[in-house]
Amino acid sequence: MNKELENNFVELLEKHQNIVHKVCRLYTNNQDAHNDLFQEITIQLWKAYPKFRGDAKFSTWMYRVGLNTAITLYRKSKRTIKTQEFEKVSFKIKSVEYDDTEEQQLKLLYQAVYQLNDIEKALVFLYLEDKKYNEISETLGISEVNARVKMNRVKKKLKTILNP
Amino acid sequence: MDELELLKKDWQTNANQENQHISSEAIYPMMQKKSSSIVKTLFYISVAELVFWIILNSYPYFASEAYRAELTSMYGGNNNVFLAITLFSHAIILVFVYLLYKAHKSISVTDNAKKLMEGILKTRKVIKYYVIYNLVVAFLSMSFGLYHSVYNNPEISQQFEKFSDKQMFIATLVMIIFTALFILIIWVFYRLIYGILLKRLNRNYKELKKLEV
Repeated sequence: MNKELENNFVELLEKHQNIVHKVCRLYTNNQDAHNDLFQEITIQLWKAYPKFRGDAKFSTWMYRVGLNTAITLYRKSKRTIKTQEFEKVSFKIKSVEYDDTEEQQLKLLYQAVYQLNDIEKALVFLYLEDKKYNEISETLGISEVNARVKMNRVKKKLKTILNP
Repeated sequence: MDELELLKKDWQTNANQENQHISSEAIYPMMQKKSSSIVKTLFYISVAELVFWIILNSYPYFASEAYRAELTSMYGGNNNVFLAITLFSHAIILVFVYLLYKAHKSISVTDNAKKLMEGILKTRKVIKYYVIYNLVVAFLSMSFGLYHSVYNNPEISQQFEKFSDKQMFIATLVMIIFTALFILIIWVFYRLIYGILLKRLNRNYKELKKLEV
């Protein structure tokens, strides 16, 4: 790999690194795991970079490689929330009195998102990133209709987690 | 407001603020580190798999002259039969090496999630067939080896001649169970390795497939 390619890549990754951080935040629950996943995504991005064609936006391409690494390739066990921590999260949700303030709702919503499975998290993530359904469907390899249907189910699931 | 819209509003404002920044100087060494991805592990396992069975199949032949003589006698002293079988088994290994190489090559992190998972599962399938092939061969050669010892080894065949029908039946049964058990243990071992390695991938793949129904 020549130096120029390396420099271009580092420059682009440094600029768009927040996308990777966001993926890591969603799929890990502590700083060590976050760094570990960031490292693996960087390796995968770099390995695939020679094949990257300028016709796709670098950031769009990063979403795909980042999510693929988090959902499929990454295999460190510390990434997953341990049962005990998980119980604590759900316990908190049930015990907190319903508070109508936005802040309280947001806190509960983020906790609820953490309880979703890997695929649901990816859907929510792309939705929060304001991606169109056609892009979501292309990233995950499902049809647009199915992406919409699943998204509605996730919305319902979040509602049930919030109001058991 | 929809819960998700509320979350989106917050996400758009807060999540886009960088609260940790990795400098370009720190990115360079990261790029050189070795990947610990599932594909890498699968690759190492498939290479180990190939090497293990090749060694297991060829080592005894090269290691002991007595074994070599025994083998030749097993094929009725006909070296051509033995040569044909050896060539055939090597050809099969080459076919598997080619299939594995092709399967590994087709795995691309830039594919969509479903296609990527399918690529990995396809590679795993090639390894699975290779293992099944070897287990079948192991079963056949063990059975053939036992059969050969019973009928051609003077000491054992004399012993067998003294057996009653019932004893003969039990002896055959024990041999069959012993061979099957050996194969079963290896098979369970493989299921366990791949089961652990691909547990999450299988779960996520099922989740994506479920969306299509």
